[in-house]
Amino acid sequence: MFILHLLNRLQERFGDGISRVDMTSDERLYLYVKPAVLRNVCVFLFDTMSARYAVGIGADDTPYSGKYQVAHNFAFDGKNLFCSVITYVDGTAPEVDSISDRIPAANWSEREFYDLVGVRAAGHPFPKRLILPDGWPDGEHPLRKDVPWNHVPENFHSGREYEFERLPEGCVAVPFGPFHPTLDEPAHFRLYVEGERIAGCEYRGFMAHRGIEKLAESVLTYNEIPMMAERICGICGCVHNVAYAQAVEEAAALSPTKRAEYIRTIMLEVERLHSHLLWVGLACHIAGFDTLFMQSFRIREPVMRIAEKITGNRKTYALCVIGGVRWNLDEDACTGLRRVIDNLEDEWRGVVAAVSKDKNIQRRTRDVGVASPGLVKRMGLLGPVARASGICIDARRDHPYAAYDEVEFDVIVRESCDVWARILVRALEVFESIRIIRQCLSKMPDGPIAAEITDELPSARTGISSVEAPRGEAHHFVITGEDNKPRRWRVRAPTYQNLQGIPYMIKDQTLSDMTLTLGSIDPCFSCTDRVETIDIRSCSHRVYSGRELESLVRRKDK
Amino acid sequence: MWYDLLTSVFRGLVNTVLLLALAPLCEGIVRKLTARIQSRQGPPIRQAYYDILKLLGKEDIEVGESPVFQRLAAALGLASVLCIAWLIPMGVGIPFSGGDVILLVYLLALGAVVGVLAGIASGTTYSMLGVSREVMMLITLEPLLIIALLVAAVNGGSMRLEPVFSGVVFGDVTFSYAGLIMLLMVLAAFQAYVKRVPFDIAEAETEIMEGALMEYSGPKLALFKYAQMCRLVVYSGVFVALFVPWGNELMFPLGWLLFWLKVAVLVVLVTVLAASHARYRIDQAVRYFLVMVAVSFGALVLAALGY
Repeated sequence: MFILHLLNRLQERFGDGISRVDMTSDERLYLYVKPAVLRNVCVFLFDTMSARYAVGIGADDTPYSGKYQVAHNFAFDGKNLFCSVITYVDGTAPEVDSISDRIPAANWSEREFYDLVGVRAAGHPFPKRLILPDGWPDGEHPLRKDVPWNHVPENFHSGREYEFERLPEGCVAVPFGPFHPTLDEPAHFRLYVEGERIAGCEYRGFMAHRGIEKLAESVLTYNEIPMMAERICGICGCVHNVAYAQAVEEAAALSPTKRAEYIRTIMLEVERLHSHLLWVGLACHIAGFDTLFMQSFRIREPVMRIAEKITGNRKTYALCVIGGVRWNLDEDACTGLRRVIDNLEDEWRGVVAAVSKDKNIQRRTRDVGVASPGLVKRMGLLGPVARASGICIDARRDHPYAAYDEVEFDVIVRESCDVWARILVRALEVFESIRIIRQCLSKMPDGPIAAEITDELPSARTGISSVEAPRGEAHHFVITGEDNKPRRWRVRAPTYQNLQGIPYMIKDQTLSDMTLTLGSIDPCFSCTDRVETIDIRSCSHRVYSGRELESLVRRKDK
Repeated sequence: MWYDLLTSVFRGLVNTVLLLALAPLCEGIVRKLTARIQSRQGPPIRQAYYDILKLLGKEDIEVGESPVFQRLAAALGLASVLCIAWLIPMGVGIPFSGGDVILLVYLLALGAVVGVLAGIASGTTYSMLGVSREVMMLITLEPLLIIALLVAAVNGGSMRLEPVFSGVVFGDVTFSYAGLIMLLMVLAAFQAYVKRVPFDIAEAETEIMEGALMEYSGPKLALFKYAQMCRLVVYSGVFVALFVPWGNELMFPLGWLLFWLKVAVLVVLVTVLAASHARYRIDQAVRYFLVMVAVSFGALVLAALGY
């Protein structure tokens, strides 16, 4: 058993440093360690045991234990195991040792838990503000329990601006975003450009925060949260909906009914279909190939229509409740869905055949946006980006959930690490999704669609759930709480990790490849922008006049 | 004497008016056909006329480093294209027969230079990126057309436009391989002359947001768009006059109709190519054109040797 072997190695090495171990199943290991060994345990898991870094979480546990909680989650993808390394710190200025210098994938997570919970990662290589708005006063951390969800800070400095790093010698700064035709959502990259070559960049995102996590733990109840979770993303919302429900179910040791699991699987794959088709279209649009863009959208349309027929909505499916799903899939819907995927398969086969022979597209995408396997490991890159770099990870197979352990499918892997490989991986995954839906439709058992839950869910339990979104693994972490709501719910969308890899992927490329590379990870900024209490009042007061905007745009960089 | 001049002016005016009247129609055909290839309904064919009218009716906003030069660039862009209409036979002979190959080359290059001027005058980061791409394209593209015209001049023994535009590019008495090579070269670079995918690199909406044109709106943008539409017709006209001039001498409506038919065929070709390609990167495009320039110089040598 790998989990026991791992535990033995850890105990051998850290002995007294480990204060408590929870093994809720063969697939989950919760390791409570003393703050002094946190860094060493993490580095040991990452370097020696070759775990993948999933996410870092900060939580305010002061009402219960008087301490702050920090967790780093690691995944052992070949072994179907998630290991969460948890520690408690106290004091007025809580601190843990930073791990970002050894595990670069933890960079954003550590900055995030300082911004939101106020636990400083001591020794962080780049301890800049990540999430809070520029004018937010220092020392106020909105995810702390004593901060109300509708808190408006009194001393918001509306004039304060983000300070970018110094421009490298011989470069000009090209502002990319917050508004650019290829960015569907606001995010800002400050590119350092020499001629057409990109020498580096700095990212400032998190511009449209919605306070989803705070609302979940203060205002909503367990069964209301899935509706909100779904609105994290406009493309892969169902993923968050399912991932949240699964995390709570795991924490509360509940299992959804069999039929519900099948319905979840089917809808997740329907979502993947539409998302992949949409992405292939967008990638072609960025490369200037609008014909394929339009054709993908035409082929995608029936998927949206059938989703509307089944769920009442093209995109938001309102699928999960804790322990099951909200609605049933009737015979009519199944027949319709079968017809849609049959047609889709035919049409998509034609497109894939045409694209894979097209020299023009290949010339534009080969050796562009290269993510080496080393980078994938270092930054914890996920999904099609990892699979296009020869790293065979897929949460559907590695950490099976819903009905994925009962269907057969292949994990598509390509080795060339570039945008072209990402296109191929996604294009071919469409066929696997079709395969999965077909099997589910024929195997789906009858029965109730939701488990009956009569007892209150237990509190202070932890749950981890991982769902393979079209863009990569979406990772949810839940600590259950009182009053029918969780204490802490942390969402890590795949873009959160993939975006951190972008600066390395675009370095030394030309500006034209930058948009293509950014597009190739299918960035979903709304997914990363889910946290934070937005301060609507002070934001709306900052209205730029035309003159001011103009001077902002025109300002030459020193 | 007076009669000749009057005929020249009359023909020139006819060409100009026809160009202005039919260029948006060609654009409309391009859009409709593109839409059809993409399984879309597409805008009505007359949409391009509405677009120009709409833009012309908007407020003239002045943003940018030097508004005077921006206005100048917008006017010059359209004017340079319209002037070319006086130098090419658009079915009714060459209106202004005093011109020669050098004048034509200057006017063609002016169109690209205007793009550079427009970008520098607005002076933002993205327009400067557009300018740098525009210049790179200009340097590698212009020689191709110049050489093609020169091959015809060498074969015909004259720089004057009338002999050059009489099919002499394929040889006066004996067949000239140089002409055939140049036909292929110019055809292969044609998308770049009319700024369409895969060579719309200097504008590239999804990369540098229209580049040099980024800061323009209203009437100035209308002029640029109009010039862009006319450019498609004018370059098709140059191509037809240089490489497929046969039938121009036919009786009035026939020769004239034949000319516009040939232009329409080119427009369709341009549309289909644009709809079936992705945009190249500037370095890929420049490398592609440099090879073609080298081949063209070979063709010029061939022509000089009489092949």
